[in-house]
Amino acid sequence: METVPKGEKAQDTLKVRVWRGDAAGGEFREYAVPARENQTVLDVVTQIQREQEPDLAYRFACRVGMCGSCAMEVNGRARWTCRTHVKRVAAPGEALEIRPLANLPVIRDLATDMAPFFDKWARAGGTFQPKDAPDGAVPAEFSVVPPESKQRREADAGIECIGCGVCYASCDIVAWNPDYLGPAAMNRAWTLVNDVRDGARRERLEAVSGDAGCHSCHSTQSCTERCPKNLDPSSAIAGLKRTLFWDSLWGRLR
Amino acid sequence: MTHIERRSTDILILGSGGAGLLAALHAKSANPELRVTVAVKGLLGKSGCTRMVQGGYNVALAAGDSAERHFMDTLDGGKWLNDQDLAWTLVTEAQTRIRELENRWGCFFDRNPDGTIHQKAFAGQTFDRTVHKGDLTGIEIINRLAEQVWARGIERLEEHRAIALIRSADGARISGVLLLDIRRGGFVFVQAKAVLLGTGGGPTMYKYHTPSGDKSCDGMAMALRAGLELRDMEMVQFHPTGVLAGPGTRMTGTIIEEGLRGAGGYLLDGSGQRFMHNYDPRGERATRDIVSRSMEREIQAGRVNAAGGLWLEMKHLGPEKVAKMFKGMVERCADMGFDLAGDRVPVVPTAHYMMGGVVFRADGSTALPGLFAAGEDTGGVHGANRLGGNGVANSTVFGGLAGDAMARFVPAEGELAPPDEAALDAAMGAALAPFGRRPQPLGPLRDALAALMWDKAGILRDAAGLAEARSGLDALEAELHAAGVADGMRGFNLSWADWLNLESLILISRAIVAAAEARQESRGAHWREDFPHTQDDAAGLHHTLVTLEEGQVRLSWREVAFTRLRPGQSLLTPQAAE
Ligand SMILES: Cc1cc2nc3c(=O)[nH]c(=O)nc-3n(C[C@H](O)[C@H](O)[C@H](O)COP(=O)(O)OP(=O)(O)OC[C@H]3O[C@@H](n4cnc5c(N)ncnc54)[C@H](O)[C@@H]3O)c2cc1C
Ligand code: SF4
Ligand code: SF4
Ligand code: FES
Repeated sequence: METVPKGEKAQDTLKVRVWRGDAAGGEFREYAVPARENQTVLDVVTQIQREQEPDLAYRFACRVGMCGSCAMEVNGRARWTCRTHVKRVAAPGEALEIRPLANLPVIRDLATDMAPFFDKWARAGGTFQPKDAPDGAVPAEFSVVPPESKQRREADAGIECIGCGVCYASCDIVAWNPDYLGPAAMNRAWTLVNDVRDGARRERLEAVSGDAGCHSCHSTQSCTERCPKNLDPSSAIAGLKRTLFWDSLWGRLR
Repeated sequence: MTHIERRSTDILILGSGGAGLLAALHAKSANPELRVTVAVKGLLGKSGCTRMVQGGYNVALAAGDSAERHFMDTLDGGKWLNDQDLAWTLVTEAQTRIRELENRWGCFFDRNPDGTIHQKAFAGQTFDRTVHKGDLTGIEIINRLAEQVWARGIERLEEHRAIALIRSADGARISGVLLLDIRRGGFVFVQAKAVLLGTGGGPTMYKYHTPSGDKSCDGMAMALRAGLELRDMEMVQFHPTGVLAGPGTRMTGTIIEEGLRGAGGYLLDGSGQRFMHNYDPRGERATRDIVSRSMEREIQAGRVNAAGGLWLEMKHLGPEKVAKMFKGMVERCADMGFDLAGDRVPVVPTAHYMMGGVVFRADGSTALPGLFAAGEDTGGVHGANRLGGNGVANSTVFGGLAGDAMARFVPAEGELAPPDEAALDAAMGAALAPFGRRPQPLGPLRDALAALMWDKAGILRDAAGLAEARSGLDALEAELHAAGVADGMRGFNLSWADWLNLESLILISRAIVAAAEARQESRGAHWREDFPHTQDDAAGLHHTLVTLEEGQVRLSWREVAFTRLRPGQSLLTPQAAE
């Protein structure tokens, strides 16, 4: 049996409200969870499922901020729960309120269906297409791309997206227009537009130019503010708008 | 009769790590007419450990390096227990695969200032050959592969957990796989002409462990039950620095990267004294296995901190410098409540990787016709220990080869064979059994398993401890088979998932213990306090084999075939070996 290390008061408890339900609707229920010195929001959810509500549904995998499968709304804001220390979001004595991510269909309780998010990633042209190489052919050598070149730096800026959906859940345009591609998909498109090895620039720019694309973004920056990886999808979308503007001016798009 | 949904496909792939995704892409590209389906316990591309790769990918690319040199490093690391043909395939095919990852699938690896591919140092190698993308290489690899899979008409069964490999009615080949649709809580039988096992092993039965939460040795357990052999199961790699954040948090056990010790980090005992130089002249920079063992000795001697572990300290290098060099790690520690740059972080060794697994051939085929395997589910490539950076090379190399082989196999020899219906019923019955019993919390059982394996079959082993582990596991298995899960909502039922995880983990723990009891020497990752020496290689080397016969774990030995080199020989000329 594990014991409580010295200096830790296990008797303190956290008040936690958890949304329980499914696509048809649901409600908050309250739980008391032992407070610990080191505890993330994911740990709180785990405790409830393991010790109190065996059928509570939630999702996680890596537990270190790499897989992007544990995001939930915590006290009104989308966050990666495995990397969110309870102390960061709730002052001593304050309650935690945990809901499933907004803007995605709920499967049950805290687990959402992320398929629309990834479908849009694909629709935004978020798939690399090798230049000068029809599918199947692989250039034999690595492209020479100096790390300090402008395009590599632009590509690197957004490349470490973990696909957690936090930005997508935080965007009010997604809430209003279910077709809107959303910040992560367009961040990926912008990364590829800057990837000198990629050969599908034109198709990709077309994919993000429609009503569901970059022009719908009204630059509120919620995505950028909340991205746990400190990426800047809002600037990426601005980059797409700028590129589309110049490309159409020069007649490079239909 | 339990309701079961039936479907069919040409190729069914289990798992979406490096092995699963490359197999899917290769099979589909080789023959776009084939129906390829990926079934995965979590979300596609968002589960498993390939995604968690930090260090990078070993491959000989640079002038002065060679496949021969990479091969020799791999055999030295593996203490000559490797299957040499598999190891040779690894090092040569990696040279193709890395170009394919970058040029075809779109991974964008880090560059030198002149724009050529950067390769960094990784422990245990004679050349700096690790290709990487910052310290988040796995995210880059898996994101790019998943994007390609989405774009290619490959069917996805996400949150579908494989439960049993089902043979054909005549027993001669695989017929398909019984899966649990996690979201609905119902069974699906997917009949397939070829199946890839790519569920990624994962030593999560140990109290402290690094792999992702979805891994529970399901693939190895299914393979054992289907009558396949597992080799080298005693070979479990422990990483020296896992975070010790206390009980009741999933942060405990997660990795603190190796580069910190490489850069000059100190390991301190509970009283703040360095100790590694008492064990090895290289100090903190000694290899993973030596550092882990030394740390375990300190812990067993009671020289621990209040949390029961040791300390990692970096601040003597200058907190600003540390914060800059290891930005990601410093941020991660801060999120856990620790100041890595300016203070100390409590650490403990942690179970990381299984070198052992399903016996397979270089094209992925196994003893069961139609069943292929690749990645961490398999054994033989790494021998007695794995080099950092050879794990993701392994899964991507052999996943791709298995995809090619399945695309050839299906038109030539594939068939949708009728399943052994009795086996299907039995497998469903076994999975449903806990609903018929009185529900009980599984936490105590999980904790008992974790502690038993850690204490008795962990870093430092001996005959008495392993015997206790063996009988302890028998008792835990009996307890699990008496434990119930509350029936009601079966969809997304994590308690049921936990019960099924424990069943796989206990079976594979028994395999580990059987192999560890049998190997009466210390070699690679396997350390016996009562047999601290390594036997003479020249006298011949054997690897362990575990099978399951009527519920009993059976152990046997097979001679290692030195197909290319005998211990002591080298592919490098004396000059090149320097
Ligand atoms: C923290 C960490 C860091 C690492 N760093 C490195 C490194 O720097 N370099 C290196 O070379 N190696 C590294 N490794 C090892 C490397 O990640 C693995 O060797 C390798 O990637 C395993 O690939 P895989 O495809 O076999 O399995 P995984 O990538 O683990 O994928 C397994 C897949 O199978 C699925 N699955 C599991 N059970 C079932 C089931 N019952 N039914 C259906 N699907 C199932 C999982 O959900 C997952 O999708 C690291 C490992 C960890 C944990
Ligand atoms: S900046 Fe654009 S994409 Fe980002 S949240 Fe605002 S509207 Fe959405
Ligand atoms: S851009 Fe940031 S918030 Fe959005 S999915 Fe990627 S990592 Fe998550
Ligand atoms: S569990 Fe993977 S990001 Fe949180």
